[in-house]
Amino acid sequence: MSVDRRQRPQAEGGRVVPNYAFTAGRTRSLAGSDMPIEALVTATEMGLAKAPGMPPEARAIVEASTEPQSLAEIGALLGVPIGVARVLVSDLAAEDHLAVHLPLVGTDGRPRRELLERLLDGLRAR
Amino acid sequence: MDSVHADGRAGTATTGVAPGARRDLLPLKILVAGGFGVGKTTLVAALSEVPPLSTEQQMTSLSDGVDDASIVPEKTTTTVAMDFGRVTIDDSLVLYLFGTPGQSRFWFMWDELARGAVGAVVLVDLRRIDDCFAAIDYFENRGLPFVVALNAFPGTDGVDDDLVRDALAVPPGHPLVHVDARDDASCTRALIVLVEHALARST
Ligand SMILES: Nc1nc2c(ncn2[C@@H]2O[C@H](COP(=O)(O)OP(=O)(O)OP(=O)(O)O)[C@@H](O)[C@H]2O)c(=O)[nH]1
Ligand SMILES: [Mg+2]
Repeated sequence: MSVDRRQRPQAEGGRVVPNYAFTAGRTRSLAGSDMPIEALVTATEMGLAKAPGMPPEARAIVEASTEPQSLAEIGALLGVPIGVARVLVSDLAAEDHLAVHLPLVGTDGRPRRELLERLLDGLRAR
Repeated sequence: MDSVHADGRAGTATTGVAPGARRDLLPLKILVAGGFGVGKTTLVAALSEVPPLSTEQQMTSLSDGVDDASIVPEKTTTTVAMDFGRVTIDDSLVLYLFGTPGQSRFWFMWDELARGAVGAVVLVDLRRIDDCFAAIDYFENRGLPFVVALNAFPGTDGVDDDLVRDALAVPPGHPLVHVDARDDASCTRALIVLVEHALARST
């Protein structure tokens, strides 16, 4: 082994970023750019009822979301960058055409313990 | 009206849910990091219940003008492709795996990806071990749980795990697994070790 991580300069451009946490009680709108890439969306009844009259992209999102879809999947479905998908989804959520299911994290910004335990159980059962 | 939620749930999540819709859907994510060609897409494909999808993330950054000292730093937008897969864990948990480009110039993207993640699998090709240093630096600095996964490329077997940990400058006993990124069971094992590690570190 000729290479050692300690023997090289620190990674270039190391930006120090304060640890982000979904702080308890932080007020914010869903329409913000904080909607994470794994956020799940599901179509509401109202959204499904109104889908036929929607612009094609909005309609495609709502109709695909009869099954839960992540923001990442919406982006892939439409072939648009995540940022574009986020705007489209936020607009639909603001009108209650979509429900958004956000990750559940503790005050340390990490998934809560009981979720990790369920994840572990699920993986072991595979 | 106290707006403090003990569980820190991010935002007012499920407004306007159709009657009968599942209210308790919860996404989780794990990052798959490592250098070029180390097997990220292969691992995501082995685990995902759908063929890996690709999505694009646009990054705005300041170009540093290193190529030409006369250039005034300017804002540039770069598009980075990222592939991901999906694993349904139970009736409400859905796990997403994101294969992330391993270079530190993508750290802007990693910051968003790492937020709220369970942790990361850092794939290592022992023939090009330094390709994973940026990823390990990053996850260590951010305190994100990670597992080192040595990918089974030809000619990489028989290496002592402790020597690898030493070369990676991770502590003795740091979670390390041997994977064949093409094999579902092997990749699942890596995720299990990661989640066990994350649980051991959680309060
Ligand atoms: N022998 C062997 N080959 C592998 C393994 N994992 C991946 N490969 C091969 O290595 C090559 C690169 O794998 P990818 O999954 O595309 O790697 P990647 O990290 O996604 O690559 P980039 O996205 O280009 O950075 C492919 O030809 C894979 O078939 C492994 O565990 N064993
Ligand atoms: Mg790839």
